[in-house]
Amino acid sequence: MLVMLNLKQIKFFSIGLVFYYSFITFETHAKPTNQYQYSDKKVRIRLLPRTPEQMAAFYEGRGFSKEMINRLKQVCFITTGIHNKTQQILWHNLTHWHFTNKNGNIKRYTRQYWKNEWKKMRISLAHQSTFRWTLLPDELDFRANEHEGGNITLPFTSEPFTLTARFKTGKDKAGMPIEIKIENIQCRR
Amino acid sequence: MPTLTGKVFFISCLLVFSVPVFALNDTPVAPVGILTLKPYPSPVVALKDIDGQHFNLKETKGHWVFVHFWASWCGPCRKEMPAIQSMWNKLQKEGLKIALINTSEDEDTIFEFLGVYAPDIRALMDADGRITEQWRPRGLPATYLVAPNGEVRYQALGGRDWDTPTYLNFLRQLLKQQ
Repeated sequence: MLVMLNLKQIKFFSIGLVFYYSFITFETHAKPTNQYQYSDKKVRIRLLPRTPEQMAAFYEGRGFSKEMINRLKQVCFITTGIHNKTQQILWHNLTHWHFTNKNGNIKRYTRQYWKNEWKKMRISLAHQSTFRWTLLPDELDFRANEHEGGNITLPFTSEPFTLTARFKTGKDKAGMPIEIKIENIQCRR
Repeated sequence: MPTLTGKVFFISCLLVFSVPVFALNDTPVAPVGILTLKPYPSPVVALKDIDGQHFNLKETKGHWVFVHFWASWCGPCRKEMPAIQSMWNKLQKEGLKIALINTSEDEDTIFEFLGVYAPDIRALMDADGRITEQWRPRGLPATYLVAPNGEVRYQALGGRDWDTPTYLNFLRQLLKQQ
């Protein structure tokens, strides 16, 4: 059936179509892939596991050696963001972050671990420094509404794992602690 | 009904007691995102700039100094830098000093980055990152405000809109004290 439309109707349908497609596009883009999140009224934690290629592209751009990048390609690289949504201090301490899967605890690579690795590999101080600045701080007193982020490195595992983390709160750390849990996290390959 | 003498007495008291309160309030109130620190002597900044000229923070005594740590790979640094350039254009003539410290990058990277984001500010090069480490920033970017007596007095949380009236007025209030 041939439907004859006047100019006003064509305009109306065109605008409708634009809205419809922009909504679909937004929905598609709004769903982050391989991103994990915990969010409530007090805190937001985001985890974005990186592929070895993503990680390598970043560090190659900073002039890191092939040797250094190959070492980093062996690990599970997770970009992490923390947002303190409260009006009080949120005490972050990586020793209170635990990664576990069905095989037990996954031991995070520490700053000291990397320092030793880079020393053994005779990596320049400048690249060691840049690498350190891209890691999530070990400890930080997140102020009201403060966001900070950085990378966490774990031994690679193909099994999904769980993060449980605990934060003290308040000026003297005596406030109600906050506990979060993010399940089914997967490293990327 | 209060008598005229009573009123005069009340107003006199108000004036007398408001003087010390006013004096206390002379210290500017830090805007959102600026932490007021318990003052401590500033760590060392003795670096060369991109043209090989020496800079020493000690030599800026008597002025407020905007000490900023950044790296080109840091997204919030890229976002914040134009605001720093704009703030600097306004406050340089009013006596503010600046130490824009790049953390662990090479001259070419710094030159390319600042050419785009802050062409009028000279960059100091912390080539091995040791100076940055001494300041113990919360992350990058990091900004500290060092008082004319050489003490670190304020720290910014992350990137700030330095060229907005809120931050410009705050910095101007500090500059009036020097």
